[in-house]
Amino acid sequence: MLASGRRVYSIGERNSKMRITAGYIPNIGETKFDKKILKFQDLEVELPLLTLEQMQRVIDTVKRESAEILKSLSVSTVVDIIGYVTEQFLDRSSSYRQQAEKLLPIVTGYDEEVIRLGLTSFLKTFRKHELQRFLVEDLGNPLLLDHFQPRAKGGFSKAIGPELITHVWAGNVPALPIWSFVSGLLVKAGNIGKVSSSEPLFAGWFAKALAEAEPSLANCFAVVWWKGGDEKREKMIFEKSNLVIGYGNNETLKALKKQVPITTRFLPFGHKVSFGIISKSALDAHKAWRIAHQAALDVIRYDQQGCYSPHLFYVQKGGKVSPVEFARLIAGELENFEKRYPRRKLSMEESVALASWRQKEEMSTFTETGKEVLGTSTHQWTVVFEEEEKVFTASPLNRVIRVISFEKLEDILPYIKPYRSFLQTIGMAATPKELFHWAELLANVGVTRITALGKMTSPEAGWHHDGRFNLLDLIQMVDIESSAIVDSEQFAPYVD
Amino acid sequence: MNFEGKVVLVTGASRGIGAAIARAFAKEGAFVIVNYLQNKMLAEKVAAECIQLGGDGYAIQGDVTSEEAVNQMIEEIMLEAGKIDVVVNNAFKSFQFNPETRKLAWEVQWEDYQGQIDGAVRSAHYICQAVIPIMKKQSQGSIINIITNLVERPIVPYHEYNTAKTALMGYSRNLAVEVGSFGIRVNCVAPGLVYPTDASRTTKENLKELIIAQTPLKRIATPEDIAGPVLFLASDWSRFMTGQTLYVDGGFVM
Repeated sequence: MLASGRRVYSIGERNSKMRITAGYIPNIGETKFDKKILKFQDLEVELPLLTLEQMQRVIDTVKRESAEILKSLSVSTVVDIIGYVTEQFLDRSSSYRQQAEKLLPIVTGYDEEVIRLGLTSFLKTFRKHELQRFLVEDLGNPLLLDHFQPRAKGGFSKAIGPELITHVWAGNVPALPIWSFVSGLLVKAGNIGKVSSSEPLFAGWFAKALAEAEPSLANCFAVVWWKGGDEKREKMIFEKSNLVIGYGNNETLKALKKQVPITTRFLPFGHKVSFGIISKSALDAHKAWRIAHQAALDVIRYDQQGCYSPHLFYVQKGGKVSPVEFARLIAGELENFEKRYPRRKLSMEESVALASWRQKEEMSTFTETGKEVLGTSTHQWTVVFEEEEKVFTASPLNRVIRVISFEKLEDILPYIKPYRSFLQTIGMAATPKELFHWAELLANVGVTRITALGKMTSPEAGWHHDGRFNLLDLIQMVDIESSAIVDSEQFAPYVD
Repeated sequence: MNFEGKVVLVTGASRGIGAAIARAFAKEGAFVIVNYLQNKMLAEKVAAECIQLGGDGYAIQGDVTSEEAVNQMIEEIMLEAGKIDVVVNNAFKSFQFNPETRKLAWEVQWEDYQGQIDGAVRSAHYICQAVIPIMKKQSQGSIINIITNLVERPIVPYHEYNTAKTALMGYSRNLAVEVGSFGIRVNCVAPGLVYPTDASRTTKENLKELIIAQTPLKRIATPEDIAGPVLFLASDWSRFMTGQTLYVDGGFVM
């Protein structure tokens, strides 16, 4: 679920006014650690920086305790605990929630309202009934995680979670790390997560809340930080892990992969590109605004930093509202949302990059007929309209969106197809017939998720992230074949 | 628009819409009297901002529902500023705009109405009674009462609040007729849902979305949106308008 690595917003020269500790270390018999201080405006975040020996003890502790305690719990108990903690983070009067609403805007630079709504929408995915959906979606019978269960093919099977999963999280979307963290807990694995410098807080809070909710789990996980690319450390940790889940751009993932030994599985989640498709049937005088409103909502949520965020919208010609009019409607909505949910304050580098990108786009309108660049350089958004553009280009993000007109979906597929390995979500507004027809075509070029506009950034619980499974990819199945059972019958003491 | 040399009293100006109005006047050079009830620190901050913005600012405590307190406050303002050109009656009795927990018609007690009527009409009345003699002497003055677009279209029937604000509209029209002969104008500004303010902090997203969908300008108001029409009604540009209500709600009511 990853887009560009976000820059840490730090103003080192200011005097700090507030310092908080982050991360979560289980009880390894010592509490004194070196510290890494990350600075965000007036906030200092203090993270424990473990020596290799301390790290080794964390690994041993997490492995041992999760094997003894977490793996002895029934999956429904684990669901209850995670569900309870999630409810605490959803409750706006809880101290956890208030802390998140107060500090995440400072750390990430996102507007308070963006964080507030983003957190609620995201956390709802981890309530008890949604967690049950995760389990049933992947396993059918969640009891597979508890005991050997009868199989339709004959015999019995049990799903075993790894001894240790190491997560290397990104910081593009606040709180996102808990997706893989929760998945790891559901399969009763020991979990060690490395937080990103750009959002080092949420995963640690979640771990702390879990330990408070169920103190016996306190040593089953850890949330740590080390400098990305610390090869010695990564090699050491990955060697002791059964599974490494990495988030980041392809370079980060490549570097991580190099440190993962052959005996450890590596699950990479890299850069993805998502977009929207709007049928002419959705573009009548009554519905067009609502569609533009929803489309703009997908753009402004975390300023397109998620892998599921749209880079462009393909808009079909022939509706009552033309594609260029639709582009203008989106522009109007982006301006309205700017007042309600302002864009994150960009760093100097980001602003400069965006301005030069915009300038290039504006220059090209002299040579490309029909092309329009909407908004001015004072706006916090840009909409570029192009007639049947033949190139599939990614957006520089931060509320920059391209609207491209098309006649038939078949016409644009050849331009999308080369990006197969990068494609992920489609936000679609179309008739039921078109929806299924287009879904077939898009599935063939590599798209893995089709959703409604306005929902692009809120995947359903149990969705197939990049076409993969949340839990199945983490576990291994142990089979007792029917022959073994049949054979065993003859050795029963009560055999007649 | 230039309010240099003008003295503007904004009641309930330590936060939300009142603070936005105060800042907007200051930006145009006015000497803004920032009235507040409790938030001394916030009010002083607004006054300081007024100075920064190029005007002047002065925070003054005063319970506008107390006649004595109002008279004292106006006296103090006269000592400090020597005149009052514009009054914005923005203060109101605190009210939670929550459509889910509001009182149903049959739950509303007379005291609920009385509380809101005191907050809206009684307070405006005390202020007007105190400033009209001053404005009469000046042969000019502009009074702007902040009401709500719910007086025209009660999309959520906050009975006591809406009724009190409707009363304030009636009060303003009658007063306008009376004081017009002295060159004093009385008008109302009726905002739609304004977010964020302390009063609307708990308003749910689905209500906001519902209103946005029916609003031609497709968003809800910010406190800053309300200031423009207030400044217009305070200025000479509206010199031939009195007894009017300007709806500032993106076209929700028309």
